[in-house]
Amino acid sequence: MTAIEEISMIPDWFGNDFYSDEANKNNSRQSLKRKTVFNKSEKWQKIEKTLDQDPVDVSSLKQFAISPGGLLDDELRKEIWPILLDVDIDNIPPKPGIEILHGHRDYNQVLLDVNRSLKRFPPGMDENIRLGLQDQLVDLIMRVLVNHEELHYYQGYHDICVTFLLVVGEDVAFALVDKLSLNHLRDFMDANMDRTKHILNYLYPIVGKSNPELREFMERSEVGTVFSLSWLITWYGHVLNDLRQIVRFYDFFIACHPLMPIYLAAAIVLHRADEILASECDMCIVHGLLSKIPQDLPFEQLISKAGDLYLQYPPSDLAYDAILNFQMTQSYTKARSRNRQKFTRKKKTDKKRWFVFNQDGKSGFLKFTFWTVTTAVVSAAVIAYLRSWEWG
Amino acid sequence: MVSKMSDSSNSDLHEEPESFVIEKQAQRRIFKIIVIGDSNVGKTCLTYRFCSSKFPDKTEATIGVDFRERTVNVEGEQIKLQLWDTAGQERFRKSMVQHYYRNVHAIVFVYDVTKMSSFENMPGWIGECDQHNLNRDIPRILVGNKCDEKDKIAVNTNLAQKFADSYNMPLFETSAKDDEKANHVDAIFMTLAHKLKNAKPMMPPYLTNHSRNFNTVQLGDSLQKRGLERARAEERNDSCSC
Ligand SMILES: Nc1nc2c(ncn2[C@@H]2O[C@H](COP(=O)(O)OP(=O)(O)OP(=O)(O)O)[C@@H](O)[C@H]2O)c(=O)[nH]1
Ligand SMILES: [Mg+2]
Repeated sequence: MTAIEEISMIPDWFGNDFYSDEANKNNSRQSLKRKTVFNKSEKWQKIEKTLDQDPVDVSSLKQFAISPGGLLDDELRKEIWPILLDVDIDNIPPKPGIEILHGHRDYNQVLLDVNRSLKRFPPGMDENIRLGLQDQLVDLIMRVLVNHEELHYYQGYHDICVTFLLVVGEDVAFALVDKLSLNHLRDFMDANMDRTKHILNYLYPIVGKSNPELREFMERSEVGTVFSLSWLITWYGHVLNDLRQIVRFYDFFIACHPLMPIYLAAAIVLHRADEILASECDMCIVHGLLSKIPQDLPFEQLISKAGDLYLQYPPSDLAYDAILNFQMTQSYTKARSRNRQKFTRKKKTDKKRWFVFNQDGKSGFLKFTFWTVTTAVVSAAVIAYLRSWEWG
Repeated sequence: MVSKMSDSSNSDLHEEPESFVIEKQAQRRIFKIIVIGDSNVGKTCLTYRFCSSKFPDKTEATIGVDFRERTVNVEGEQIKLQLWDTAGQERFRKSMVQHYYRNVHAIVFVYDVTKMSSFENMPGWIGECDQHNLNRDIPRILVGNKCDEKDKIAVNTNLAQKFADSYNMPLFETSAKDDEKANHVDAIFMTLAHKLKNAKPMMPPYLTNHSRNFNTVQLGDSLQKRGLERARAEERNDSCSC
C-alpha cells in the first residue's frame, strides 16, 4: 500500500491534515517519524486564534488535541473538550434527587470504588476538599447511569469520571462523560464484557503486524490480553500516576477513533519489545512485566506511534484477525467490501450476527462491533448507533 | 531455567534423563494461587500484605487481574508463590478471570467477616471454580478477612467453620489491616505453601499419571483432612480475636 492510499483512508476526524502533511513528506512507512517537540506558546496562540473564530473549526481543534502537547492546559480543555464532543454546556440537565441516584442497582459498587480512589486525587490535596470531590464523583457517575438505563457500571469507569471531574467540574464532567458513555465507552458498558474482550483482541494483530516475533512470543507465553484491560477501559487513568499525563491521553482519545486506546496499548507493548523478549516466556512473568507501565515512557512519541499504527493498520484491516482471535462462531453480515467477499461463503444460519466496523459513508466514521443481535434488530440498532455517533 | 510444574508436560518430564530431573528438582519451584471473592472483601490488601509485608495505604479497585509474588522458604526449600489477585465485580469474573483459573495449584476464597453477603456468595464462587474444570483435590482455603472490625462482625465463626468443613476446606479468620495479624496472614499462605510442597510427588514417575495436575496423584481425602487439622492447630495457636 502506498502512502497516498493510506492518506485516502484517513477519516477527517482523525486529524487528516496533521497526518497527511507529514505523510506526504515521507515516502516510506518506516520514516513516518514525527517530531514530538513543540513550541508551547506558539501552539497556545494558534489554539486561541482558532477558538476566536466563529464558527469554530472543530477539525483544527482535533488536530491540536492529537499533535504533540495536546490541548496544553486545563483552561483550554474546559473550553475545547465540550466542543470536540459536541456538548452544549449551557443546557446541562439538572441533577436528579438523591433517592434516584442512590437507588440505582450499581450504587453500592460505585461507592466502594470511589471510596478507594484516593490515589486519583492530587497528592497533598486538602482532605475535606477531596472528600467533597469524592461525593461529587459518586453523583457524577450515578447521574450518567440513571440517565441511561442500558448502561452498566464497570470498575474503572470511576477512573475515567474522576479525570473529567478534576478538570472541568461536576456538571460539565457529567455532560462530557454522558456523551462519551454512549460512544467511545459504550462497548465497555454492556451487561457483560464480551465486547470489551473482543476489542482487546485487536491488540495481537496490531503488535503482530509490526513485530511478528513479539506476537509469537506473547502468544507462546499465554499472557492473554487482560494486562491491558485497565489501560483500555480507564483510558490509562488507572495505571498512570500523573494527572498531567492522563489528561494528555484524554485529549488524544477524545479526538480519535474509539479503538485508539488499543493502538496506544500496541505502541507501548512494541516500545518495550526488547524487554519483553528478554524475559522468561511465562504467563506470570510476562503479565507482571506488561501490566506495570513504566511512568517515564516517552508518551508523546507513543501517541505518535499509535497514530501511525492506526493509519498503517486501520481497524477494518484487522477485524478478521481479531475475530479469529475471538474464536467465536458467527456469521459476518456487513463489513468493508474486501472483507465481505471473504465471508460470503459462510453460513447465514447462525443466530449470532455482528458488525465489524461498518463504514458510514457520510461521515467516514468507522463503527464498532455488534453481535448477539438478530439481523432484524441489527439494522435498526445500527442506524440508531450511527446517528448517535455524529457529534454534530 | 525454572521448573514450571504446571506447564511441563508429563511426557517431556518422563523422557528427560534422570540427572536432569534431579537437577530440576533442586530448582526453585513455583506455585500459582488464585485469590477470589466478592469486591471489597480485601483480596488486594491480603495479597499485598503477604507479598509486600504491609497494608497498602491507598488501595484501589482491581481491574481484571493483578499479579504479585513472593519467595518463601519451606523446610529448607525456596518456593515461589505467584498470587493472582482477581477483580471481584461480577462482570470481570464472568469473562476476564477464567483465563487465570488454568494451571493454578491452589485457591484462596475470601469473604469479609463484616459483610454477610460476601459470605453468602461463597457457594457461587466455589461453584464457578468447579466449572472451570479445576480438580477438586486442588488445595483450597477459606479466609474471612477484616476481623479487626470487632464490633461489626456479621459472619459468625461457627457458621463459617461449618461451611468450611462441608467443603473440606480449612478456615482462617484474619485481618490484612491489623499489623499484629501480619504474621497470621503470612502463616495462612505458608500453610498453603507447606501443603503444596508436600503434596508434590518427589519422584518424577508420579508425573506420568494422566492428569496434568501434579497434586491429583497424592492429594487424597486424608491429606485434605490433615491440612484441615493443621489449619485448625494454626487457628488455635494464632487465633483471631474475633
Ligand atoms: N478494617 C479492615 N479493612 C480492610 C481490611 N482489608 C481490606 N480492608 C479495606 O477494605 C477495602 C477493600 O479492600 P481491597 O483489598 O481493595 O478489596 P478487594 O477484595 O481487592 O476488592 P476488588 O478489587 O474490588 O475485588 C479497602 O478499603 C481496604 O482498606 C482489613 O483487614 N480490615
Ligand atoms: Mg482488589
